[in-house]
Amino acid sequence: MPSLRDMQRGFATAVVFGDSGSIASLGIVAGELGAAGRIDVYRNNVLGNYRNVLAATYPVVLRLVGGPFFDAMSEAFVRAHASGRGDVNRYGGELARFLSFYPPARQLPYLPDVARLEWAIDQANIAADADALDLAALAAVPEHMLGELRFKLHPSVQLVASPYPIFHIWQVNQPGHSGEDRVDLGEGGDALLIARGANGVAVERLTPGGHALLRALARNLQLADAVERALAAEASFDVPTTLKSHAAAGTVVGFRVPRSSQPRTPA
Amino acid sequence: MSAITSLPAVAGIGLRSPHVARVRAERPPIAWFEVHSENYFVDGGPALAALDAIRAQYPISLHGVGLSLGSADALDPVHLARLKRLVARIEPAAVSEHLCWGRVDGRHLNDLLPLPFTDEALALVCDRVDAVQTALRRPLLVENISAYLRFESDAMAEWDFVAAVARRSGCKLLFDVNNVYVNAVNHGFDPRAYLDAIPGDAVAEIHLAGFDASGPCLIDTHGARVAPPVWALYRATIERFGPKPTLIEWDTDLPALEVLQDEAAIAQSVLESSDAVVA
Repeated sequence: MPSLRDMQRGFATAVVFGDSGSIASLGIVAGELGAAGRIDVYRNNVLGNYRNVLAATYPVVLRLVGGPFFDAMSEAFVRAHASGRGDVNRYGGELARFLSFYPPARQLPYLPDVARLEWAIDQANIAADADALDLAALAAVPEHMLGELRFKLHPSVQLVASPYPIFHIWQVNQPGHSGEDRVDLGEGGDALLIARGANGVAVERLTPGGHALLRALARNLQLADAVERALAAEASFDVPTTLKSHAAAGTVVGFRVPRSSQPRTPA
Repeated sequence: MSAITSLPAVAGIGLRSPHVARVRAERPPIAWFEVHSENYFVDGGPALAALDAIRAQYPISLHGVGLSLGSADALDPVHLARLKRLVARIEPAAVSEHLCWGRVDGRHLNDLLPLPFTDEALALVCDRVDAVQTALRRPLLVENISAYLRFESDAMAEWDFVAAVARRSGCKLLFDVNNVYVNAVNHGFDPRAYLDAIPGDAVAEIHLAGFDASGPCLIDTHGARVAPPVWALYRATIERFGPKPTLIEWDTDLPALEVLQDEAAIAQSVLESSDAVVA
């Protein structure tokens, strides 16, 4: 009789990898169905469950590749990536990376980036909430110190860039889309902002300057450096208007004044 | 928010995300709701905000599917901490989990997998239940599962194992009538023997759901109406244990809320007819 751990180890191997050798050692009462038939019930349940979880997170990937491809991909992914958590909703974050090495997907070079976008949307939906930016406090910062500010972005903010037109691909594969659904891969790449606002998660296309600015702020660079990068990426980039719109949309939720500039508190 | 510490002995409904907006907007007359705890293991966002809003109007039961009480692996401290945080936030009327395992060597299968009914498994589950009850500072409701296999190493019947878990750990039971029926058909036993072995005082909640009979054995899909023989077993259950909070569970091919309300109304009529008998 195997120990509980040995039984569970053999059971998991049999279910995930279809290893018939490990079934014999599990001590399953065969009955009419047989031990392998009973393990098959669990394999169908487990793989079907992961497939449904991945399909819910990656509906556009599913539409792009079709059901049979997605099912096979999902099974290969489950074998390559064990779930580490009892919370299955967090499963599947490595799909983009997996797809970039998955031979059957080689003909769809944009697929990993589409998956990256869908994962970003999924994560933005469950990220922490944050209070809106304190505009009065920001207005009170002396002008000579503005360049040293470090802005805090909303916890849901994610940036996804791709050499492929993934936003267009994503748009024409939304449930409500009608009309032309062909996308010319030659139309160029995308830099996208994914963030959760009052009306839920939104995806927005960024200009090169807008992308450079948010990337710098996300890396906690001070505003002067972020502006420098934005202007290097796009000479005509309008920093004040962009920052105001990010504040209004809740993309920017806070800021930190450099330590040396803060009034000293009496000891 | 009222501090309700137990569910009312009436029929409730399992709340799934497609019905959340309607429940918030229309506040239908449903006595209580149960949600899957793990769906709210999030840092923020609209789903958690919706649960807060619904909790302000209805008693809520938190039903876990991923704690893996029967794994040889230690309890996952991150999972337990998330559950504890959610319990503190929601102040649920009940917290439940399954009598199963799901994880080994750190790999989670995210399914409700069967345990052998051995002394080793019994001791391990009781330790884990005790740890969870200590961490949450409240009784845990433990649910009997559907199983599609049995182990040669079983040293006792399923019902004796379930009863022993309740007796030794002091936990409450979430008695799933559909799972008893599914196992009775799949493994060939009389479900009344199961009922007879369960300590009624420990039963704090009952689950009802539909199964799928199209495969080689009955599968607990939560994807159909409660089957007539399960209603019959439910009546027998209520006759034996008295009225208990009863949940209609539906997960796959989720129908309109009205269908769930219909099913809950049938359960409610059984509960009320039993009231008359008991009184």
